[in-house]
Amino acid sequence: MKLSVTQQRNFWWSLSIALAAIGTIAMAISFGQFGAPIPLGLDFAGGTRLQLERDCSIPDNCAAPIDVSVAREVMTSQGLGNNVQVIGENQQGLLVRTGDLGVEQRSRLQDALETEIGQFDPEKLQIDTVGPTIGRRLLRAGLASLVAASVGIVLYLSLRFQFDYAVFAIVALLHDVWITVGLFSLLGLVSSFEADSLFVVALLTIIGFSVNDTVVIYDRVREILKLKPEWEINEVVDEAVNQTLTRSINTTATTLLPLVAIFIFGGETLKYFALALSIGFALGAYSSIFIASAALALWRSSRPQPVEAVTVSETPTSKEERS
Amino acid sequence: MRKQQSLLVLIAVLLLAAIVVLVQVPIRLGLDLEGGSQLTIQVQPTEEIQTITSREMEAVLTVIRNRVDGLGVSEPQVQTVGEDRISVQLPGVNNPEQAERVLGGTAQLEFREETKNPEVRAQLRVRQEELLELLQKQEQLELEGTSEQQREIRQAIAAKEEQIRELNARLYEKVGLTGKNLEDANVASTPLEGIWSVTIDFDREGGDKFAELTKRIAGTGRRLGIFLDGELISDPGVGAEYAETGITGGGARIDGQFTLERANTLATQLRAGALPVPIEIVENRTVGATLGRDSIRSSIYAGLGGLVLVLGFMVVYYRLPGIIADVSLAIYAVLTLSCYALLGVTLTLPGIAGFILSIGMAVDANVLIFERTREELRSGKTLYRSVESGFYRAFSSILDSNVTTLIACLALFWFGAGLVKGFAVTLAIGVGVSMFTAITCSRTLLFYVLTLPDLKKPELFCPNLANN
Repeated sequence: MKLSVTQQRNFWWSLSIALAAIGTIAMAISFGQFGAPIPLGLDFAGGTRLQLERDCSIPDNCAAPIDVSVAREVMTSQGLGNNVQVIGENQQGLLVRTGDLGVEQRSRLQDALETEIGQFDPEKLQIDTVGPTIGRRLLRAGLASLVAASVGIVLYLSLRFQFDYAVFAIVALLHDVWITVGLFSLLGLVSSFEADSLFVVALLTIIGFSVNDTVVIYDRVREILKLKPEWEINEVVDEAVNQTLTRSINTTATTLLPLVAIFIFGGETLKYFALALSIGFALGAYSSIFIASAALALWRSSRPQPVEAVTVSETPTSKEERS
Repeated sequence: MRKQQSLLVLIAVLLLAAIVVLVQVPIRLGLDLEGGSQLTIQVQPTEEIQTITSREMEAVLTVIRNRVDGLGVSEPQVQTVGEDRISVQLPGVNNPEQAERVLGGTAQLEFREETKNPEVRAQLRVRQEELLELLQKQEQLELEGTSEQQREIRQAIAAKEEQIRELNARLYEKVGLTGKNLEDANVASTPLEGIWSVTIDFDREGGDKFAELTKRIAGTGRRLGIFLDGELISDPGVGAEYAETGITGGGARIDGQFTLERANTLATQLRAGALPVPIEIVENRTVGATLGRDSIRSSIYAGLGGLVLVLGFMVVYYRLPGIIADVSLAIYAVLTLSCYALLGVTLTLPGIAGFILSIGMAVDANVLIFERTREELRSGKTLYRSVESGFYRAFSSILDSNVTTLIACLALFWFGAGLVKGFAVTLAIGVGVSMFTAITCSRTLLFYVLTLPDLKKPELFCPNLANN
């Protein structure tokens, strides 16, 4: 089977545009609802999250599931809202979300919950408190690193290939990041997902891997251009994509295996991280073929003599021969 | 061939060294895996001190270290982050309330006067001797005791220190002279070599109060107690010659036969108390010990399970080279983990994710090479030539893809904090090591295999070759 990306371009691009549009709509709705394109978690918005679990080594402590209304009452009586969930297989855990609490307020809440609900196990306690200033700082740092990574990659690719290669690689990676964020924005609307520091890490890793995939195909495009300077750019790109297709599929599959395993069987903390990476990597492999390569072919074929321009700049010696 | 063999030896030596490192140096686990509290403390500027400089930070750091030591946590870490923040890591602390209360307040420096209370003074002396004994015993236990004994002695020492603190609080009384009145404190040399003293300067109001205070106790044998956060840091006496007027002029010198180090510590402590920069705990991440273990376990098992599938896939799909790739992946894992241990990387949950991803990169390099080898085989080249050009021609792709990943890591490392940094470090080290193993290890092993006549068969490299 031979894949012709340059001929099926329109189909795949409509698919991408549709996905991106769904993501954009989700982000817009989310913006209206939460004031951000994706609901921001504790790391960025600031606040306190408490995860408590009853100590089941105490007799009768875990006799019945925790009644969420009791916990809610405690919280409202202290004026801390009512954002509380009962978690865990046997409904013995509590997940409490409030604004940024100081130590005194927090221990008052913990004590009150303990009196009403039962002894908690300190070994299973999790506390996260992030002040609003530090949250903003983390968000800024996260965005700054996204921008810095993109700029660094454009520079490197311009150096190794050419500027237009770099631009389409960036288009492809923006495509991946945009759709990933869009899908998680959708997830945020229908579930309790919130973006944390790990989500930014996931986006950055997606950037790295997306460019990886693109680079492998570009590398092959460059090589074929050198070997067969008389070929049409469309032909060259199709050939390069097909030659690297097995690699793209195998690499994506092998990278996805552990990630999907972590998503399905792994701990709560890494679940969404693994999901974001899985989506992003799959998109990265897809976009390197159908976006970066296909767009490069379109761009170069619409300009006069692009093929020669490549061979000239890639082999400086031949340039000298010509002149 | 010669080169091949020396490379094989090199790989064997590296592997051995890495295993020794892993056995000798344990990899440090982050608090999110081991359980414990991480607090970030923000130093805030005030009207008087509008920018926080390294001098202020140093003073605050001293205060925080003091307070952390008072908590009796084993192996705490205190370090500055950025320009105006301090990160405190308290392993094993499940309930950080006490730590937050102790660490969160502004430093309180007080000059107090010893009351006439010989009974308390005598008790205090006994307690101090007991403490000294305990400390000596601890030193001994550090060398030969069990961890259980060490924990017991730590608790005993903390209890003793608490008793001493209480006695001190009873012995000395407040006279309203605080750090607010202190302008500066510095180390000064004395005529004697190796002996240093500490000078203190008060503002006008402080100078007057200090003169009164010293006049009252001069020559009586009662002492002046200097307290930082309720902890006695120095208790100088005042000579009888000041009984008439007290120490006037707003300045004084504490002579205590100090070494330079001790004098420096005292001066920094005093300056810390003189600087009323408010501090606030702006971040608290606490993970209970078992919770940390649970989350690590399921994620690691899942990740490992996925990896086993990957290894299986490599063998099924790539045959003999797949087996070799698996061997070099195993070498890769050992080398990378030993690098973490050697470089003192703290392994956090995102760090483990970075490690698993770097394995993905290492697999990718092998896939690139083997795909290339197959292409060459199909185009009719000999096995040896195909393998050779497979490595040669895949190299530029591998290099480019690794460099782009490193650029992303660099961005994360520069801008990121805490967990994000951990991820960047493990991924970057992994990418670096994978360049070595995927290229050098796989290559050396594969060429070695090619010297064995039984294994030098193209079918083992590419099934259905004849059909193509």
